[in-house]
Amino acid sequence: MTSERLAGFRPLLQATARQDAHQIAPWVMLTSVLSMTSVLAFGWVFPDPASQAVLSRNVASNPAFALIFGSARDLTTAEGFNDWRALALGGFFAGLMAIFIVVRHSRGDEDSGQAELIASGVVSRHTRLMVAVALAGIASVAMGVVTTILTTAVGSTFLAALGMGATYTASGLMFAGVGAVAAQVGSDAHSANTMAVGALGALFLVRGYLDATGNEDWVWVTPFGWTQSVHPATDPAWLWLLPPLGLSALLVGMANLLLARRDFGLGLVPPTPGPARGGFASPLAAVARLLHGPALLTWALGFVVIGAVFGFIATSLGEVFGKNPMMAAVLASGQVTTGVLTAEFLAMLLRMMGIIAAVVGVQAVMRFYTEELEHRVDPLLGAAASRTRVFAWTAGVALLGPALALLIGGTMTGLVATRQDIGLSVGDVIRQAVAETPAVWVLVGIALLVIGARPAVRLAPWLAVVATFAITILGPLFRLWDWILGISPLWHVPTVSAPDASYRGLLVVGLLALVLVVAGFAGYRRRDLA
Amino acid sequence: MPWGCGPGGHSVVVMVNAIEIDGLVKRFGSFTALNGLDLQVRTGEVHGLLGPNGAGKSTAIRVVLGLLRADGGSVSLLGGDPWRDAVALHRRLAYVPGDVSLWPGMTGGEAIDLLGTLRGGLDEGRRAHLLERFELDPTKKGRSYSKGNRQKVAIVAALASDVELLVLDEPTSGLDPLMEAVFQDEIAAEKARGRSILLSSHILTEVEALADRISIIRDGVIVDSGTLDQMRAHARTSVTARLTRQPLQPHALPGVSGARLDGGLLTCTVDPHRLSDLMGTLAAYGIESLTVSPPSLEDLFLRHYDGPSGSNGAGGSGGSAGSPGAGLDAGAPA
Repeated sequence: MTSERLAGFRPLLQATARQDAHQIAPWVMLTSVLSMTSVLAFGWVFPDPASQAVLSRNVASNPAFALIFGSARDLTTAEGFNDWRALALGGFFAGLMAIFIVVRHSRGDEDSGQAELIASGVVSRHTRLMVAVALAGIASVAMGVVTTILTTAVGSTFLAALGMGATYTASGLMFAGVGAVAAQVGSDAHSANTMAVGALGALFLVRGYLDATGNEDWVWVTPFGWTQSVHPATDPAWLWLLPPLGLSALLVGMANLLLARRDFGLGLVPPTPGPARGGFASPLAAVARLLHGPALLTWALGFVVIGAVFGFIATSLGEVFGKNPMMAAVLASGQVTTGVLTAEFLAMLLRMMGIIAAVVGVQAVMRFYTEELEHRVDPLLGAAASRTRVFAWTAGVALLGPALALLIGGTMTGLVATRQDIGLSVGDVIRQAVAETPAVWVLVGIALLVIGARPAVRLAPWLAVVATFAITILGPLFRLWDWILGISPLWHVPTVSAPDASYRGLLVVGLLALVLVVAGFAGYRRRDLA
Repeated sequence: MPWGCGPGGHSVVVMVNAIEIDGLVKRFGSFTALNGLDLQVRTGEVHGLLGPNGAGKSTAIRVVLGLLRADGGSVSLLGGDPWRDAVALHRRLAYVPGDVSLWPGMTGGEAIDLLGTLRGGLDEGRRAHLLERFELDPTKKGRSYSKGNRQKVAIVAALASDVELLVLDEPTSGLDPLMEAVFQDEIAAEKARGRSILLSSHILTEVEALADRISIIRDGVIVDSGTLDQMRAHARTSVTARLTRQPLQPHALPGVSGARLDGGLLTCTVDPHRLSDLMGTLAAYGIESLTVSPPSLEDLFLRHYDGPSGSNGAGGSGGSAGSPGAGLDAGAPA
């Protein structure tokens, strides 16, 4: 019976793995390098107890770090530092990778029609889903193994490195299950991805909230808290690897039950008929609305939530610092005030918000390129739409989307955070968020240039986003030189509430964004369509 | 369930229709795609499923393949239940969809072998023969194939596998006329091997050339089914005759309807069973020239489609669909 339920599993897995290897490799490498670099960097940047003490104090003084990376347990060893810097974030990437793999090879292939031929073969309807899950599992294990090897190679103890790799694998397996369920429920691959990534983001945010508000003893109630509770470097608790495996098995089993109840090519939610006519003032506007509308709406909702959570944490900082003996001592000594720390906290979270806003824009540009790959741009250009106008709609959405996201997120953060007196007005917070727009546009501009001129290197804009994240959030902590910090466009955003705020750097960044966008237009007018 | 669904002996299996569909209903949300569809594909025959876009051909085929689950009625595929026994049944059939989508990074040759492996193996000799007949370059990758060439990949994979039943859903869409001719040759050869074939198409000449029996589908029901001769027997033959003397009442001629007399030229249609009577009667008026043409498949097809849905043919009620020729005379030609 088992062979019948998984008929065709092995040949299909082989073929799929061979097709997909080049898409999986960058995820595995990126995440492994994340763990490797923190061990490397620790030895260079924090070699002595004095520098380590500064590090501990800096991390403790800004709960934004706990929100993103989790609570720090021990920042005096390379392994402990790695646990803090790479465990939560790497798990997030592992989850993203697993979701994309599973959805791509279950619902994605049904949407594109490739699965139709496969499904008519001697293949059980469970086989294709299980091949997708198995591939995500293999990728997660590969990520764990490569992480263990690379991290050990640069000087980590083997057990700490193994523990780090194991949490990546566990996160990948959990979210392979989430992706598998979403693929049965969503009406197409796109909505399945949105659902699963939304769940991933929400779970990460809950874990971050608990960590940032001094409730780290409660993170174990969330899936990301389970892997965090392994903390392999300090006092390994290997049993925390079991709940992720259990959840993964449960979700995959559930997905298989749902699968047996749905039709090929359709989700559990039946499609509803749409309008028969389109009274469009502009056909391109209509296409852009169809293409980007749902994603932008989802993001708008996401920024409302993110903004509110950020604001809420800002109001609890006094309490959080009170619980931390080191911070209580620092504050008591009068070197800094809670108000100053709150301002720093908000500035960092708004920069984080800027990076997420850049994802909104880059994603919109990539969505446009997917349309081209699937030959849906041809009919537009075949009609009386010029390349410039088609590209202009993309650029417009990709540039305005992040600007609106920052406005929404900044407003929410401002409204919630200023319920208490934090020394800043709602307007200050909103203006600080909106001031980041030109810097975010540089990242979107890179995406427009790449897709306009050289789509072959379309990984580059994503790498730019990741690099910006690394430099902006971690650069100051690593005491990098200004010329490196300045690579991040966000570094040039002034503190708008400061009396001596200079906007010259921001102007340069804005001009750079303009050049990138114009170059993208020029490239798109000249290159061959896929 | 009509035939041999049980664990039954081989004697039963031999008698089973390759495909037996009774009263099949399939709904998508509030839209009813199949509304009581009946279809029989006998073992060893080529069965043409004719219908325009959106009539329900592909939906019916996807139910037969177990990709969609029936909401009502019964479907028997090679004696089994296509939803429940999909894996076992797929060992015995091969499928060509109307819109083949290939993996961008996989060559045509790899795709053929993958599909073959998933069906339990290919006949290497047939594979080589078909690649040559269809002039398909197996070393190109999926993204660089044209529509017609992608279609060929699926056709070669299907015809090179050793199966009892071929399910072909508009298989030649995108093929040029030369390749269409090759396809018809090869299907004729498959039929000679004793395979059963369900051929869905809207290309009438293809169906006319290949099909033993034909079913015409409209709005999710079969409105006519049978051999071309059976369908013709129930349809009216057109007659054009130049007569030396004019009949006083052309409408009273035996078996005739729609008669028109223009000078000495009579045009009408006649019930084929009463053709001899009509000829006898006309002879008395002196026939100078005479053309008698049985209806073409196109005539048969069009008469089921000229008019609003549900108002002509047997299809409206769906009740008598399936019995060969039933209700054909109800819909008079315009």
